[in-house]
Amino acid sequence: MNDLRELLQDADPIRHESSTFLEPRETQRRSLLAAASSGEGRAGAIATRRSRAAFFVVVVSITILALFLGNRLWSPRIQDVHAAVRFEVRLAEDKPGPRLREAKISGTDRSIYLHEEVVVTNSDISAARLIHVGDAYAVGIEFNKAGAKKMREATGEHIGKPVAILLDGQVVMAPVLRSPVNSSAEITDGFTKNEAEKVVKGIVGKT
Amino acid sequence: MNDLSCSRAVRISDVRDAAERLGVLFDTHYDRLYRLARRLTSSADDAKDLVQDTFLKAARFPRSIPIGARDEEAWLVRVMINTRRDEWRKTSTRNRHDLRAFSASPWEPGERSAEAALIARTTVWQALDTLSPRRRAVVVMHELEGLAVPAIASLLGVSAITVRWHLSMGKRDLTHTLKPRKGDRK
Repeated sequence: MNDLRELLQDADPIRHESSTFLEPRETQRRSLLAAASSGEGRAGAIATRRSRAAFFVVVVSITILALFLGNRLWSPRIQDVHAAVRFEVRLAEDKPGPRLREAKISGTDRSIYLHEEVVVTNSDISAARLIHVGDAYAVGIEFNKAGAKKMREATGEHIGKPVAILLDGQVVMAPVLRSPVNSSAEITDGFTKNEAEKVVKGIVGKT
Repeated sequence: MNDLSCSRAVRISDVRDAAERLGVLFDTHYDRLYRLARRLTSSADDAKDLVQDTFLKAARFPRSIPIGARDEEAWLVRVMINTRRDEWRKTSTRNRHDLRAFSASPWEPGERSAEAALIARTTVWQALDTLSPRRRAVVVMHELEGLAVPAIASLLGVSAITVRWHLSMGKRDLTHTLKPRKGDRK
């Protein structure tokens, strides 16, 4: 009786079709890039869904903005208090220093040293969304104009150093900056769907 | 300085030229993804569609893709398996063939005609359709790509125990499906 591995290797189509996938590769590449940029062909339906999603996001953003402005006009300075999840971004260092506060990164034994100044908070966020990444979930954050300006200025001179993202005072992640952050950021810290949804609603929502 | 972006699969960045990155992703990972896709599907056309769908998802969520070839590969492989799983669920009933219909048992020893060998290969490949895409991926990564259990676990983002379990159950199911039965013609 043959070994199962031998059977699989014998049946492996890659062995029998070894070059058939190379020919259409360029065609696929072109159609993929075209689809990604213009939404033609097979990606048409996806692009249509993206357009609808974009429209939905615009409507939701306007609604959130209206709620936000209404809230600010009615009771200014209490936005951060009303957010269910307190969001902060702070610059950080790997080594202790004057005016730096030590903090543990959640779920690790690693410490970083936070700057006193908060770069952005909930009030600098225009939208947050749930992102499905493989089996995990992430939270995408869009900064408003003022928030993007603060992030750009603060992170532009902090390349190669960590930046801490805090949820409710806990450092949930501290990635090293590779480039200045401008209008958006993502928190992909192995959230479950419920956790990610809670963070999304909490960051921009009200209790 | 440790780069936490790699170790914890987190990042915070602006993607300034998504199209350019998509092109680089395609050039870097297409061959590897196609080979896996072909081993997860019944035909070359299905494999091409699966690869295309995977890259289209990458195009839709460029900021979700981690940085670094290894993390990119893991992300794309997971997306591909999830995409395949959705498709497999829709068609699994239709694709669960009655393997006894084939007259050439893949286990049959000795010399076989070219036709019998082809039927035997087809039988083996169709038997893989009975496995869920994740289990099938574990089996083909281990048996055909020669990856070790820890490497598969890292790629799929699961524990080594889970990989061993899928491997064991996958091989058991395949052996059971392909085993000659009473009444089968030898």
